[in-house]
Amino acid sequence: MPDQKRIKFEIATPERVVLKEEIAQVTVPTVEGEITILPKHSPLVSVLKPGVLELKKMDGSIEIISVSGGFVEVLLNKIIILADTAERAEEIDMERAEEARKRAEESLKNLRSIDSVEFANLSAMLEKELARTRSAKKWRSLKGE
Amino acid sequence: MAKAKEIQRRIKSVNNTKKITKAMEMVAAVKMRKSVEAVLKTRTYANLAWVTILNIAGSSELGKNLHPLLNIRPETKKIAIVLISSNRGLCGSFNSNIINKAVSSIKKHGDIETDFIVIGKKGLAVNSRYKYNVSAEFSKVDYVSEVKEVTPIARLLIDDFLSGKYDKIFVAYTDFVSAVKQISRVKQILPIDIQTEDEYLGVVGKSEKIGTDKTYIAEKENKYLRSNGQKYIFKYEPSSEEVLNQMIPRLIELQLFQALLESNASEHSIRMAAMHQATEAANDLVKELTLFYNKARQAVITSEIAEISAGSNALKS
Repeated sequence: MPDQKRIKFEIATPERVVLKEEIAQVTVPTVEGEITILPKHSPLVSVLKPGVLELKKMDGSIEIISVSGGFVEVLLNKIIILADTAERAEEIDMERAEEARKRAEESLKNLRSIDSVEFANLSAMLEKELARTRSAKKWRSLKGE
Repeated sequence: MAKAKEIQRRIKSVNNTKKITKAMEMVAAVKMRKSVEAVLKTRTYANLAWVTILNIAGSSELGKNLHPLLNIRPETKKIAIVLISSNRGLCGSFNSNIINKAVSSIKKHGDIETDFIVIGKKGLAVNSRYKYNVSAEFSKVDYVSEVKEVTPIARLLIDDFLSGKYDKIFVAYTDFVSAVKQISRVKQILPIDIQTEDEYLGVVGKSEKIGTDKTYIAEKENKYLRSNGQKYIFKYEPSSEEVLNQMIPRLIELQLFQALLESNASEHSIRMAAMHQATEAANDLVKELTLFYNKARQAVITSEIAEISAGSNALKS
């Protein structure tokens, strides 16, 4: 058995591998609510919802990643996250994220009467943008301390 | 002189052809760079996802089937093969290789009734040459950039599988290994089955070895799902149906998407290589023809001189 106190963590999107590292713990937003995974968690598969993913690295520092849905696969001491999109909070430009969120809100307001598919797409986009701004804010407050 | 003129005309025409092949080579090179970039970007995700789904399929052996798309039917009556080919020719053996591969793997597994779903125009040869039934044809774009573009195909496959029209569905695609090496592969995508014959099993775009054997998946299972001899079973949140209902169709889509990207990258690199060869061949031909032309020209001049000197000799005497 490898070291029991670390988790091999990998988060990939169709565009790239966002992060691959050994970590101590991670909190992921699933459809059932947030769950925190520690080493030796039993194998689990769950669906992610747009939100903030928070992970603690081996040196104690914290990393924030914004995700917009996907899946999480927990294995013994290994976690694989297959995200639709994911961005590290430090890479998110706060102002532009805020703008994007407002745009998404606007178009949702204007399109309320259009068919349900479009509505679903737009609200998914809004949720994603919300997650991004939330992540960026959280990251900022962490750095501000 | 007539011969020399004829050769000159041929040199001109070969030169014109050379211009075309040269241009096509350069166009293919640009397209290849873009499509290779695209394929490398999504590969990690696609491979991780496929291994995940195979591990899930492998962990549902305990008598209960977690999801209809994981259901292995006791009898295989009819299968479908999604054949990814190109829209245009002039790409070497790209199309014939993949078609041969698909046809030979049908033959190998006992000639079960087969429908083809063709992506790209050239794949229709399975119908005209091999008389297999083509149940659907999708056009192919040169750049596939979004997973959305394969959604209709994926939906068709899943519906046809669930309705019982097909018992197994395969994808025939060309795996991009490097710019000079591409492998035709047939891979089973439905039902998702860890026990499929080795030939069918493939993690897209890895080295040849990983693509064709099960050890890669078994290794992951051993390392991360077993501890002290005990095998762990996945838990699902909120429930296995809900998770798998969302997960499997999406991953099937993604596999198709990846297969399409791999085929695209292969197509463009094969076309580039074929056009490069054609340009070289044209160069050689021009060289040879120029030699012939010069010889013919010289022969004409020599004979003319001989005639003139013979004439002047006749006058002198």
